[in-house]
This record gives sequence, structure tokens and C-alpha cells, in this order.
Amino acid sequence: MLNPDDSGSRERGISRRTFLRSAVGTTMVDAASGFLDDAKAAEGSGVPVAVAGPEPVPVTLKVNGVERTLRLEPRVTLAEALRGPLGLTGTKIGCNRGACSACTVWIDGVTVCSCMILAIDIGARSVTTIEGLAQGETLHPVQAAFIEHDALQCGYCTPGLVMSCAALLRNRPDPAAEEVRAAISGHYCRCGTYPHVVAATLTAAKARQA
Amino acid sequence: MATDETQRTEAFPSGIVSVGLSEVKRQIPSDEPPPLPPNAELAVIGKPTARQNGRAKVTGAIRFTVDISLPNMLHGGILRSPLPHAAVAAIDVVAAALVPGVRAILPIATPDAILRYVGAPVAAVAADSPAAAEEALRLIRVDYKPLPFVADLDVARNPASPPVHDSASAPAGDAHGFPAPAGLPLHGNVRGPATVTRGVISQGLAEADIVVEGEYRTAVQTHCCLEPHAIVADWRTDGLTVYMSTQFTAGVRHELAAAFDLPLSRVRVIVDGMGGGFGSKSSLGNYGRFAVALSRQAQAPVRLVLDREEEQMDAGNRPGTWQQLRVGAKRDGTLTAISVLSYGTAGVAVGAGVGSFAEALYACPNFESAQYDVFINAGPGCAMRGPGNVQGAFALEQAIDELAGRLSIDPLALRDRIDPSPVRREERRIGADRIGWHRRRASGADAGPVKRGLGVAQSLWGANVQINASCEVRVMRDGSVEVLSSVQDIGTGIGTVLAQVVAEVLGLRPEAITVRIGDTEFPAGPPSYGSRTTASITPPARTAAWRVLQALCREAAPVLNAAPEQLAARDGKIVVLGDPGRGMKFADAAARLRTDWISAVASRSDDYGGFRRRIGDAAIALQDLGGVQFAEVAVDTETGIIRVERVVAVQDCGRPMNPRQIESQVQGGVLMGISFALFEERIIDQNSGRMVNPNLEQYKLLGARETPEIEVAVLENYQGQSATDAYGIAEPSNIATAPAIANAVYNAIGVRLRTTPMTPAAVLAALGKIPARS
Amino acid sequence: MNRFAWVNARTIEEASAAVSATVADAMTELAGNAAAGDTAVLKAGGVDVLDLLKEGLLAPARIVSLRGIPGLDAVVEEAGGGLRIGSMATLSRLADHPVVRRRYPALSEAVRASASPQIRNVATLGGNLLQRPRCWYFRAHEYHCLRKGGGHCFAIAGENQYHAIFDNRPCAIVHPSTAATALVALGATVELADAQGAVRQVLLEDFFGPPDRDLQRENDLKPREVLTAIRLPALPAGTHMAHLKQGEKDSFDWPLADVAVVLELSPDGSCRKAALVLGTAAPVPHRAKQAEGLLAGKHIGEDLAREAGRAALEGATPLAKNAYKLPLFETLVRRAILKAALG
Repeated sequence: MLNPDDSGSRERGISRRTFLRSAVGTTMVDAASGFLDDAKAAEGSGVPVAVAGPEPVPVTLKVNGVERTLRLEPRVTLAEALRGPLGLTGTKIGCNRGACSACTVWIDGVTVCSCMILAIDIGARSVTTIEGLAQGETLHPVQAAFIEHDALQCGYCTPGLVMSCAALLRNRPDPAAEEVRAAISGHYCRCGTYPHVVAATLTAAKARQA
Repeated sequence: MATDETQRTEAFPSGIVSVGLSEVKRQIPSDEPPPLPPNAELAVIGKPTARQNGRAKVTGAIRFTVDISLPNMLHGGILRSPLPHAAVAAIDVVAAALVPGVRAILPIATPDAILRYVGAPVAAVAADSPAAAEEALRLIRVDYKPLPFVADLDVARNPASPPVHDSASAPAGDAHGFPAPAGLPLHGNVRGPATVTRGVISQGLAEADIVVEGEYRTAVQTHCCLEPHAIVADWRTDGLTVYMSTQFTAGVRHELAAAFDLPLSRVRVIVDGMGGGFGSKSSLGNYGRFAVALSRQAQAPVRLVLDREEEQMDAGNRPGTWQQLRVGAKRDGTLTAISVLSYGTAGVAVGAGVGSFAEALYACPNFESAQYDVFINAGPGCAMRGPGNVQGAFALEQAIDELAGRLSIDPLALRDRIDPSPVRREERRIGADRIGWHRRRASGADAGPVKRGLGVAQSLWGANVQINASCEVRVMRDGSVEVLSSVQDIGTGIGTVLAQVVAEVLGLRPEAITVRIGDTEFPAGPPSYGSRTTASITPPARTAAWRVLQALCREAAPVLNAAPEQLAARDGKIVVLGDPGRGMKFADAAARLRTDWISAVASRSDDYGGFRRRIGDAAIALQDLGGVQFAEVAVDTETGIIRVERVVAVQDCGRPMNPRQIESQVQGGVLMGISFALFEERIIDQNSGRMVNPNLEQYKLLGARETPEIEVAVLENYQGQSATDAYGIAEPSNIATAPAIANAVYNAIGVRLRTTPMTPAAVLAALGKIPARS
Repeated sequence: MNRFAWVNARTIEEASAAVSATVADAMTELAGNAAAGDTAVLKAGGVDVLDLLKEGLLAPARIVSLRGIPGLDAVVEEAGGGLRIGSMATLSRLADHPVVRRRYPALSEAVRASASPQIRNVATLGGNLLQRPRCWYFRAHEYHCLRKGGGHCFAIAGENQYHAIFDNRPCAIVHPSTAATALVALGATVELADAQGAVRQVLLEDFFGPPDRDLQRENDLKPREVLTAIRLPALPAGTHMAHLKQGEKDSFDWPLADVAVVLELSPDGSCRKAALVLGTAAPVPHRAKQAEGLLAGKHIGEDLAREAGRAALEGATPLAKNAYKLPLFETLVRRAILKAALG
């Protein structure tokens, strides 16, 4: 049971103020995520924290630059929300447990397994999927290099691999082959395209720098 | 065969290009195109060509079956047995039926039914949402009466072990012998043997100066297609449409027509993106039947997608084996005897043999094999990339390596002596050069804890062909071109190869060809299993393109003031032979068509030189496909970790059509082979009969960091057997890898590992580093 | 996955007030067929919680997210030279954190060796330390095992190749956190806050508990506590360290064995003090005290490291399928000691 009194301002070892101070220089996360329309309780006001669900609740997702508000049960994963109501089926579910990385998307530019994160947990962060990688008709250099090197066979794991390799190049414009392997070390490709994926990513890195 | 107007004689290039070409004369059907010159003389075929659906795949636009969503579509789910062996005493679906959104419930295991493995289907439901389906499955009440079970190959061989099958439930086998022959005796859980005898084995062993004997084991490997088995069934009063992740649209269509008593004309099967099969998606499968039955019951489309645990438990696997080999030889290496005894298990199914690998690979006058299927209470096995041969090669190619060691003959030199194949002889030469075989040292030559070694192993695989394989080529009035067949692209890139073939004939670029495949509305194509797709569908594609070109030339001839047979298509033009200045654009010729399009449909003819064997729609070509692989490994003798550092794979596939895609496929075959050799194992808890690693986390697959440098070399081997002379590559590339690694490990540490997977525990045990338990 | 409601806590107090049970308690309750009732559990990065939810091993009425609490992911250098890592700091952030890399390389190595990049980008250090064991019997709802409140360990007479070689009765799990191996060797403490605002600091080594202390819990987290931070002590000059992990694969894989070594070397090169911890060896990160004692006061060299490797495995009680871990651990201990001491 929620107890409103317990969220108050009693003595404590580490105060909230300490946390705010210690957060300087780190990424601050906006607590008031858009989905909690009624989450207006002020800090220390004694108002209970808002509970959403288990019925469908409004969840606003910013995906590929577009904001959409969906009604989702809190248990819906990001992968399910993308593939279902948002119709973005380029993101694939392979194992549904974070073990194959086929479902890789970016949250604020960082790769995550979208099967292992709840849609309601995204908050104001931006999601980028394989559908949002190309600039209009112009493929991302990693996508173009994947075609050039035949870094795909059945293509099911490909969107996830492309997202990982493209993310790597954001941080490491000129990676070594071993860094590419490390970046894709969570991915499974049963067709065995790893050698071509590594070669393609190195080519894409050169293309971006040219 | 007498020459008549239906036949004509043509001279074909013949032989291995790197060895030297000659000519072979063949009688061919008179309506088939002239011989295709060697790749060096071609514009498109044999050239690295970008995958036709590459853009759709890298953008995520391509639709896989799991992506198909139809209006009012329901979501299916299957309730599965938690027990390895049980009788269903009662089943109650009342509560499930009351779950809001449930639209159909399909009883599968009716009372008194026997369930023989964990994961065996019990009932299926379809509902408005996956959650409702899941809830309904949870509420189906089943009263199971547990029965004694056996889940281990060795235990099941014991006549006292609990019987998995009775005579009525035991699989009957197949009249053609695959995956297991019909009519074999069943004693307890042991079915067989299937035997082959050549010469007199006892005599061969008596004549031998040296006999090597060994026992080998291979673990059960699961397919782990990244796209799960999936189907969307849309039953309507005017017919059934099925979207399915399948390796054989035309075959599934037949199965559906038979299972649901529908005319073929009312059944349509469609697949676009197909996320891997490796043998496990060859047929309709139980889940396919359930989905269609649910759709019929609910009168709505039903999508059924297996989850990863269902995949691991009930979507097929490569059977595990125990093999005992005896190989006898003279001091000079000449083989005198090969004997193979195998017990394999495909769970509740048959097909756990080790193939004809040992029978066919080497010249040996005395041969015998006895192969048994052993039933256990585990999910059914099925074909998996190089079925039988992968397991058989792991044993035989180690035995040959051991023999070479015992005879103090280099393993390659020994094979030069005992292997009659000119293809593999050339492959050994190429591979030895690429891997640097001269660097190979005596076992255990490294001083430090990490020891390196080189190994080699060979493969053979039948060159399979599907006779029932048709293709249509259309030329449109605007000059655009379509190639159509129900053949499916399971990731091998057959669509790209079809575009290449048609482009070559019509003098166009492959990108200009629209490929429409994976739909039974089009002429029936071959299955994508048995490495037969390219061999089966590229000849009719070339023939159809050639015929449609002849029709086009008839339209162009008057304009060019030439006879149609003087015309040829090249560089986007129809030109007059011998007068390159005279010609017209391909599109201009097409514009003269009297109809919106012209079309030709062609089917696979028999191989020009005949087949070795023909079984229904399928046939086996005269020559097998040979391969040789070399592996270089590093073994840390203190941790037991084996790392494969380099593989050289040399492979024959007849005429290579698209070297880039071939390289991809061979790399894939090698990597699946490394994964099989080092990591993969279905682990069943013997106390509960349940697989404890039914996921992709504890069922371990090779990843990017275990991927070695792989060098692929492909022979150009012409035999004048079809309009393209092309054969398969997928399975052959997966066979030699594991034994090459095992042989390299032996070369590194001087101890032979005869069991897959070769885990650190196995290596440390083999090195005698594991203390006896106190 | 069952349905649940979502609570986005904005403060530690809110989180503490909203939560009713640890994940471990909620699981035991569910496995015992107690009504899920009003259970509320905390979620950090959510990787393990989601895994448990999907397997039907956890079915709370509410999930309380810590992600919206400002500052809980802060990594702050403390006066006196220690480091305070907010429990919500992700593993990837720690792996790349310049202070962690420079001063606590064993931790950055351990974290970098964990899971996959995607998981490290989401998983938090707090969640990593509190994740439930990976034992395949524990993780399958079909097995009502000791750790879920049942009466039997299925691993001891079953498939135990990835299980414990120390303290493996009556339950043979291994602790799943690779980071914990390094953190225990480093003498880390955890900071636990409750709804009343009380904070307790517990040595991580004491926070974890073996099966004979508690069969259903791997640690001493109280139902309404929030793990808020992990604190690393300042290290004396001359501290050297290493962490080695050996999986069957270098790609995403759980370790077969991992070892953390922290050595305090005197100016003369002799070992003043040693901490040696084996991960994936026991239900908790396993201090190899005998080996630590062996190193104290001596100069580190190949022979001593080898001897320590043997000593570290004294008392091991391997099961039918995991005796291979003995030579493997011996090797890793020796190599880790040499790597720490000699670089």
C-alpha cells in the first residue's frame, strides 16, 4: 500500500538535496515524463505518487523525430509498441529476452534491446529505429556499405546490426575491426554475416570521413 | 539416345577452370538455349552482384511473416506439454473459452492421447490479442498422467528403458530412405539397422596393416533461425491464403490442400522476407496446421508465431549421434576397410543417421555401415544444414586424420592417395597454399600454455535438383522485365541470381529485372532445402529468358533487316551479330510488341548427361559437390578455451553464379560449423526430461568475437549438365568445418576430442587436468 | 507477463514508500501460490525484472521505477579519495568512466566484460548487484526449487556445469554479478535507504549472504529499502588490481569463472595486503582468504601466484559436471595475480 506520509520530509541520511548536488555533471533525467498526465504532485507535498495502469494509459513516444501518444498497458515493451501500434516492423524480435539484439534501437542515440525495456519507461527520450536512419532516400553510410559488402543474408537480424554499427560510428568514427566486433558482440546472426558486417562498418567509417 | 528434332547436340565447356577446360558433347532439348560459356566470357553471371532486396533489408522495409498484419487478425498460441511422457486423462477448455476475446479453441491432445516430449502440443487458441490468447492457454485445465520416460541416447538403447513409442506410434520411415528407410525393425527404443555393405569388412580389416578405432559423439544442435516459425492463415470461403516463413511455398501449398481437402487452385502460399530456415521450415509443420484450423474455426485470419522456447523444444533439431568407426589401411595408406556403427536420436522422430558420407567419400573396397535410430522423449529432429553428413564427417574425417598420424603420412598426402575426386584434389592444392599448410608442425610443438595447430577435413554433398521447378520471364512493352516463380529467398539470394540469369540472356543489368518470387500464384518453384534451389531454378530461368528473347527478336528482325537468329541481346540493345553497329535499344524492340507483354514459362529439364538417381520430383546429379576446409586454432591448455583463428574453405558448386553471395553463404556455413564444434548443445535435464537451455542465452551460439578470418575459394567447375550448370553451396560449406577444427586441435595439443561441443570442460578433461572428485 | 501498474517515483522516499517487497520476496510469494495481492517491487534498469516478468516468475501488482529519481545515477568523487556511484549509473557509463578506469580498473574491466553493449546501456550497477541468479532451474517456473521456496535443488543431481564449486549445498547457484566480484575485492560498501530516510552502509561482502544464511535471498536488502549507492574506498598508494573473466565465448556470455585481485604492494615490491575474490564460484562472491594470506608479506612471482591459485581452490566441493572449474580458476587466479602485480 502506498502511504502518503512516508513520502514526506523526515530526517534522513542522504537528503534529496545531496542527490541533486551530486548529480552535477551527470545526465539529469526528467522525472515528469509525459505519460503521467495527473502526475502533478509537488516534491515533499505529501501527495501520493501517481499510479498508472494496469489498464492502458496514455504513453507519448518520440520515435524518429515524431511524437505519438498511444494508449498502452504498462507491461507493453518498446519493441511491441514499435511493431504493433506504431507499425514500425523493421525492429525485429528474435529471442524476446535481450540475448540476440535483433530488436536493437537507439534511445537518445544509445543502443538498447527494445524487447527489454517498457514503452512507459522511455519518457521524454528520443527513440530511433531502423526506419529513421536513412535521410529520405539517402541511405546511412552503414546501410549502403551493408549492401555493398553483402553484410546480410536472410535479413532478419540486419536492422539491429545496422543500428549497432551506426551507433558505433557516432562515437568512434574510425574504429578498429575489434571494436566493431565488440559493438556487435550481443548480436546473433545465424546466417553468419559477421565478417561482412565488420568489413561493411569499416568501409562506412571511411566513407563518412571522406 | 537417338537424335531427333526434339534434341540437338552441343559442345559444352567441361572441367575445372584452374586445372584446364575441355569440351563435352551433350544432347540437349532443342528448345533449350545454347551452351553458356565460362564465366570469364559473361557480363553478369559469375560477377559479384548486389543483392536485389538488399535495400529493403537494410532499411527494415522488407516484410517477414511476423510482420504481416491483416484486418481483424487474431493471435494464436499453443499449450504445450510440461512433461516428457504423459497420458492426457482429461482436458477442460471451458474457462479458456470464457476469456474475453477468445475466438477459437482447438483441442489437439484429446483424452487418452499420449504426449511424448516436453513441448508437445496439447491445445491451441486464437484470440483478439496475444494477451487474451496467453490468458486462455493458462486457463485450459489438463489432467496429465505421467508415464516413465527416457531422455538420453545411451539409456534409451537399454532394452529395459521405458518405451517411447509403440508399434502404432513409431514413425514409419520413408520408402525412399530419407530421412530414414521404411520397414526397419523396432526393438525397445532402437529402430534399425539401416545397413550398407560393400565387399567383405572382415577381410578388409584382416588385410589392414593398421586399424584405427574410435567412438565419436555429436550433440543435438538446434536451428535457431532468428525469425521464429511463423504463419498467418487466412481462411475464406473462396479459398485459403497463407503467409508463412517457409523454405518451400509450393510444397506447403500441397500439404495444405491435402490436409484441409482443398483443391490446389484454392490454396495460395506467400513469403517475402524469410528469416532463416536451415532445414527446419521445410514443411507445413504441426503449428501450420493448427493456425489454419484456428482460422477456419474463427472465420478470421490468425497469426501464430512460436516463441524462442517453443522454437528450441518443438521446431526441429539436428539429431545427436554416437558413432563407432573402424578404418583399416595398408602401410602406404591404401584403405582396406571402413566400418561405421551409429546410434542417433531424433527424439520422437526418425532420421538420426549419419548419411552416406563414409560410404562415398573415399575409395575403399570393403565397407559396412549399420545405423540405428534411438527414440527418446524429446522434440523431433528434422533436416538441418547437411543432415547426417555433418555428424558423419565429424567422425570419419577425424578417423582419417588419426590414420594419417599413425601411418606418419601427411593428412593431405594420404587423401591424395585415397580420394578419387579430382575436384577435392584441386581444392586441397588451393587450400593448402592459402592456409600455409607447410607451417604445420608436430602436435604440441608450442612451448607455452597456448598451443596452435592446423587441421584439414573434407566434405561431399549430393548435387540435388528439383525437376518440378518452373520459372516465367515476361518482357513488357516498355522494356521492363519480370522473372516470376514461387521459389522463395530464404536469405541465400536466389532472387538476385535469377535477375542475373535473365539479365545475362537479355543483355540487361540485373538491377533492371523485377524479381517476383515467393508466391504460389507464380510458376511452381523448387524448395530451398537440399542445396537445390540454384541448380533447379536457374536453368529454367535462362531457358524462359532465352525463349522470350527469341520472340522479341522476331519483332525486331524486320526493323533491323536481319533474320531473327542473326540477332543477339547485349548492353541494353538488340544487335545484329557480326555487325555491332546495327542494332536497336532493347526498350525500342519491346515497344513493338503486339501485346502488353510477352512471356515464356520453362521447367527444369533433366541434367543433360542424366541423373544418378531420380525420386519423384527430386533427382541427384552424377557428380557430388566436393569441399575441403582448413582450420587454424589456438588452444589455451590452462583454460581449455579453443579459439579458431583462421579458416580456409574451398568449395565446388558447379558454375558459381554470384561470388559475393556465395562467399556469404560459405562464411555462414563455416560459422555454423564452428558453432556446432565448440558451443552448441541441447541440454536435457535427465530427472525432468526438460531442456534446461531453451533460449538463446544458455543455448550458446557463436558470436562476432568468435568469428575467425575466413577465406573462401570457389572452384569453377563445368560439366555441361544444364542451361546454367550451377549447383548448390549452402550445405556443402557446413560439413567439413567441425572435423577440420577437431583435427587442428589434435595438431595443437596432441589429444583428440571426439565429442561436440568441444567445451573448456572437455578440453581440460582430455588433457587430464581435472582432478578426480574427492 | 501479468498486468501491473506503473509508479514513477520521483524521490527515494516515494520509491521506498511505494515498494512493498523485494523482488526475491515477491518471487517466493508467487512461487508459493500466495495471491499476488498488492505486491509492489522496484525496478532500476529493468533488465532482470523484465526477464523475470516474462518468465512468469514475478507478477507484482505494481512496479516502481527508480529511473525518474534525479541524481540517482551520479558518480561522484568523495573527499578522501573514494568514489560514490549512484545505483542507477549504467554499466556502460561505469565501464567508460575516467575515474573508474584510472583508479578502479578491476571494476571497469569487470563491467566491460558483462553482458552485451545493449544490456550495459540499460542495466544499472544497483540492478546488477541485486539481480537474481541465472541458474536454469531457478529461471524456469517448472522447477519449484529451494530458492523459490521449494524443497529441492534440482542442480545438485542435475545439470550443474555452470553451478557453484564452493558452498554449493543445499543450493548450488552462483552469484550472477561480475561487477560484484570486483567490488567485493575492492572493499565496496552499499548504501541502503528506507522510507523513513534512514540510511545504512553495509560492506558489500556482508550484504551478500550464502544459502545457509537465507535460502531465498542472495542479499540483505529489506523490503522497503532502496539501494542508493555503491561506495568505493580510497585506495592506498601501491594498490594494483586486475579482473579476469573467462566465458566459453568472448561475445555475450556468462562467465564460467571470473576472478578479481586487489594487491597493496610495499615500495619494496612485497605484498602488504591482498584481496582475492572468485566470481561464478559460489552463491556469493567468494573470498579466497587462504590464498590472500599466502600472498601477504611476500614478493609476487610466478611460483607464488601458482601456489595462491591452488590455495584459492582449497575446500572446493565440485559437483558432477563442474570440476573443470578447478583448473580454470587456478589459472585465472594465477594470471590475475600476475597481471595485477606485474601489469
